Amino acid sequence: MDKKHFTLISSSRPWWKIDLKELLDYRDLFLVLTYKDIRVRYAQTFLGLAWVIVQPVVTLIIFTLIFGKAIQVDTGGVPYPIFALAGMSAWNYFAFVMSQSGGSIIGAQDMVKKIYFPRLVLPLSKALVGLVDFVVALVLLAVLMVYYRQPMGDNFGYVFVFILLNLFCSLAVGIWLSALTIRFRDFQHVVPFMVQIGLYATPIAYPSSMIPDKWQLLYHLNPMAGIVEGMRWSLLGAGELNEYTFLSFIVTFVLFLTGVFYFHRTERIIADIV
Amino acid sequence: MSRAIEVEGISKRYELGHQKAGSLSESLKSKFKRSSLKVQREFWALKEVSFQVNEGEAVGIIGRNGAGKSTLLKILSRITYPTSGNIKVFGRVSSLLEVGTGFHPELSGRENIYLNGTILGMRRSEVKAKFEEIVEFSGVSKFIDTPIKHYSSGMKVRLAFAVAAHLEPEILIIDEVLAVGDAEFQKKCLGKMEEVAGQGRTVLFVSHNMLQVQALCQKGILLDNGEISFEGTANAAVNYYLKGLGKTGDDIDVTTMARAGTKHHAMTIKSVSLQDGNADGTFNEGETVTLLIKFELLEPIENLIIGFSLSTSTNGDLVECRSTASFPNLSLNTGQFSVRVTSKLSLKAGSYMLNLGARSLKGHLEYIPSVTVLNIVPNQPTETAEWSNSSAGVLITSSHWKLLE
Repeated sequence: MDKKHFTLISSSRPWWKIDLKELLDYRDLFLVLTYKDIRVRYAQTFLGLAWVIVQPVVTLIIFTLIFGKAIQVDTGGVPYPIFALAGMSAWNYFAFVMSQSGGSIIGAQDMVKKIYFPRLVLPLSKALVGLVDFVVALVLLAVLMVYYRQPMGDNFGYVFVFILLNLFCSLAVGIWLSALTIRFRDFQHVVPFMVQIGLYATPIAYPSSMIPDKWQLLYHLNPMAGIVEGMRWSLLGAGELNEYTFLSFIVTFVLFLTGVFYFHRTERIIADIV
Repeated sequence: MSRAIEVEGISKRYELGHQKAGSLSESLKSKFKRSSLKVQREFWALKEVSFQVNEGEAVGIIGRNGAGKSTLLKILSRITYPTSGNIKVFGRVSSLLEVGTGFHPELSGRENIYLNGTILGMRRSEVKAKFEEIVEFSGVSKFIDTPIKHYSSGMKVRLAFAVAAHLEPEILIIDEVLAVGDAEFQKKCLGKMEEVAGQGRTVLFVSHNMLQVQALCQKGILLDNGEISFEGTANAAVNYYLKGLGKTGDDIDVTTMARAGTKHHAMTIKSVSLQDGNADGTFNEGETVTLLIKFELLEPIENLIIGFSLSTSTNGDLVECRSTASFPNLSLNTGQFSVRVTSKLSLKAGSYMLNLGARSLKGHLEYIPSVTVLNIVPNQPTETAEWSNSSAGVLITSSHWKLLE
């Protein structure tokens, strides 16, 4: 007799036991959900996918006018639009994934109450959806770099490390928020604030060297500070990495691990409380 | 025969007003106010429920609203988890608590088939392999590339059921999803269900429709107040359940019973009682049956029609009586009313399901299937009685015979 698929439904499960194999079994659902989100996002819009370009371009123009022309931020010789876009590409991805993942469980509550699947699929698929915008922003950056004849940084290869870090960081915060939002709806209102404040509390429009020394430690507790600097450092060779940057990386990993376990704990009571 | 499901002492506690998603301030308050924390009301939806299901069995789970059927189903489907106890499941499970879960209005029928299929646990390759079959079963092939927001609700249901019907799990858990669509489609669905049950799959079926339970299941489990109150064959469980609902002369409270497909809230049928029967609650063949139906109107209704029907699992509806027989144009204001109907039923001895309904010209107001069972017994036993009762059919007709030559 062939071995039957066995499931134990139990009142308790160890906090560390995360079923990665099952998550892998649901990869098709993950891909289909991602496809759905991308399709639905621009369904019945006139400009369609062009919105992916319009949004960052408009923000970039505003930043260039205010911080580049009016305030004349010191970019270390890098043309301002490139300087800003290098940081903005990473930040926009973060902001998108944070808000989309954060609301992913609440947004799918009809589904969650009717059928079982590993709930982690929901925030994870949002991270994949965001990659569309991220890639478009990076292509836009490449175009600008060619236009301004900006040479690539010496550490260009590291850019993949920072893209990966950005992914982890966005997911970490997204997973945390998706679980927290189930328990406390307050976080639905917190997220837009975090996006708004974070845009200025992260070195996107300006270099982090402008922050006074005594605030540097606090400033880099924002994990995106280090990641945005890293993006710029690897892509453009602008600025430098210091011990504070690494603090951001540590924060990212701590957030990710704790987020996954907190989500895992909350997962089982989702249907009872949404 | 090997086991498919072993349920061992499952209990589920809900803490009323506590586990609901709250705001931060509520949560902080309860952290500091230790005194009020212990007064939370708890509610046990299931208490120490244990049973086993063998491979290939079709088991019906019945019980009144709030008996714990849905909670049991949700635990078996892993949507929620038990407070204590274990369940061992041998085999791949698909649970259908709803058809069309995850359907997105902006996506085309084709895209929704993939979406819904993968949500139900299919691989994309599986959906692809069965795609043509699914489309054909649904009967919406002409519109398969149209966003489903342009579909009629009937088309959506067809498409949704078509996907669900092509799942091939070893264990299937179903919650009344059959009560959808028009009569013809329901018949198609029922046929598909019988096919699934006949293929040696294990089926767990929760329903308010006793006829469907009797038609589809061999075993029946009756839940009452979170506990198993009867376990046996499907027919025995249904009879036990319906007997428990009321005796002759008693008002059978129907306010909490499941309604089928009524959208209006203009009318509520409150109770029904069977009158003029024998002391043990049965009726004699050919005797007049009296029903007293109490109802409340929340809106004035013109051309009100109240009716009842009697049915059996094998024959469906046998008779239907409507108030139009006495009041062709009954118009009533809001308030409480009762109506008495007497009918001389020409039904042979047997058990018949009583269904109640009401409608106006605008549509259905109420439909409550399987309210209770009407037991008709043979008349005074005579020498020929036993023989005559075994004749075929369900209707009593008088016939006169004359021997010629």
